[in-house]
Parts: sequence; structure tokens; C-alpha cells
Amino acid sequence: MALLTAEIEALIGMESEPVAACDAVERGAVRRFAQASLDDDAIYHDDGAASRFQGPVAPPLFPMTMFREDFGTPDVLTERAGDPDFDGIVGATVQGLPPLPVKGLALLNGGTEVEFFAYARHGSRIIAKSRYETIYEKAGKSGPMLFVVIATDYAADGQLLLRVRKTQIRR
Amino acid sequence: MTMATAQQTFFDDVAAATAIPELAKGPLSEPILMRWSAAIENWHRIHYDRDFAISHDKLPNLAINGTLKQQFVVQCLRRWAGPAGWLWKVSFQFRALNLVGETLRIWARISDKRELADYGLVDLELGILNDVDRESTPGTAVVALPYRNRGAGVPYPFVPPHESVIS
Repeated sequence: MALLTAEIEALIGMESEPVAACDAVERGAVRRFAQASLDDDAIYHDDGAASRFQGPVAPPLFPMTMFREDFGTPDVLTERAGDPDFDGIVGATVQGLPPLPVKGLALLNGGTEVEFFAYARHGSRIIAKSRYETIYEKAGKSGPMLFVVIATDYAADGQLLLRVRKTQIRR
Repeated sequence: MTMATAQQTFFDDVAAATAIPELAKGPLSEPILMRWSAAIENWHRIHYDRDFAISHDKLPNLAINGTLKQQFVVQCLRRWAGPAGWLWKVSFQFRALNLVGETLRIWARISDKRELADYGLVDLELGILNDVDRESTPGTAVVALPYRNRGAGVPYPFVPPHESVIS
């Protein structure tokens, strides 16, 4: 049975509306991120070290983690505190795109590609925009598989910071 | 030592088929994994709830976050590129789990180099090895390096020299 239906094919090229991170890039969040990722680069806090960037910046992949649960968002951790099967995953993995209309297919991580253009400066507000770049079907050993490539651009202050392409495998 | 005082790598001085300095991280303990999950507000229990990881998800132990491993890859490449270089592209696949307590070694090897007018591009293969040399995260990267005595250097913000397609 073909997995790539006309309904799914129609999603190719679909773009989300721009989604803004709920918080600006904050020094404290940058500090916690840098310390937690065991990264002692001084460009995250020192004006002199960060002169190439006109001031301290966030770690290169920091913008990807900025899309969190804002004030007023229902607290899933509380709601599912008594659910022994709750795995703890909260929030969407792709900002602003409709889910793929597939039922009963496992989701596998097929890889990540990142291009870097600039780093986020402290105080910036990150904007993300995603699109279904391509969706195609291949024959696998255990049957057909869908390959879904989702590209997300992260920008701030009109500057593209990074472009991330994630490949999801559905089978 | 900070990046500000780090030694600069120049395109002229690197050669294909040579390795760049490895970056070791670990042992990656429970507190280190917990701190990372908290920093990025990722509450996936397989990274800090050992009973859930083993009994529910049938894992051997707590899993090191893929998001943490990709930070290490970026750190390794950026340290080598130096303050005037630029990590342009990186790609990787999470082929195998790494577990709490492991020490990871991020490696990369130059596969090719290409000269442009103002700087050069270096292609690399990379990966992450654990204590028993098992590969978990194969990938590739492209790093822009300045020339020692010519060219305008690597621009910031980085402007791709040609169509921006990851290969």
C-alpha cells in the first residue's frame, strides 16, 4: 500500500506562519545552556571575546531550544502526573506545521542537517518558520517508508541565524 | 583557555586525510544529564528517570540526550575552526544510544579542501565514540577557514559562497 497519498503530497512546500519564541535571548538562559553543555567559550559573556559579533551571543544551536511553553499554557506535567506511561515529552517538535496525516506509523529520526549564518545576540527575539521541504516514499525491507524533510529557519532582527533540516522516517 | 585566545587554524596548514583534535566529554553523570534537560526544559524521562527508562522504555540505562551530543560536535568543530573561522554546515545521524556514565570522544577527519577567493572550505567526516570505541553519531561538516596571508577572511554574518545546499 502506498504511503504517499495525495493528501500528504499536497503538504510538500507548505510553510508555517512565523512563530516567535516566548522569551528573548537572556544572559541567564545563555549561561545555563553554556554551562550545561560544558562549553566555556567566552563569546557568550565577554564583550572583548565577542567583538566579531558586536557583543555577547548565544551558543550556535541555542535558537532551536527557545520554543517553550509560555505563561498561560496548560501544564502537561501536572495534568499527566499520575500517568505512568507519560514519557515527559511536552510541546510540538515542529513549530506551526500541521501534523502529517498518518496513523499507526512509527516515527524515526532520520538525521539532522544544520547551516549556520550568524549567532543570536543577547536580547534578540527568535522567530522560526518551518516548511515541508520534501516528502517521498522508498521501499524498505519491512515495507514502504515515508521520508519527511522539514526545514526550519531561525532568524532574529531580520538576520537568518541557522537553517535546520530534520528528516523523519515514518513506517 | 577561551576562544578569544585560542590558536587560529589556517586553511594553508590543513591537509586531507588528517584528523583534527578530538574533544572528550565525560564521564557524563546523572547530574550532568539532569542539568542539560533542565537547561533546555526537556522533560523526556529517559534522560533522568532510571526506572522509567529501564522498566517502561526497555533501555539499558538513562540515555544521553541527542541534543547534548550535537552541542559537543559543534563545540569540537568550532574550537578547531578558531575565532576567525566559521562552522558553516554540520549533519549527523543518531545511529546508536549513548548511556549515562559514558565518556564521549568527538572526532573529525578532513576529507577534502577547496580554495575560494577570500577563504577556503574544508570538508570533514565526523562522529562520536564512547569508552569502547563504538560509533553512535556519524556525520559530515563544512568549515570555512581563513588563509594565512591572503584574502579578506571569512565574513560575518556568514554568506554562503554558492547555493546553500547541504551535501
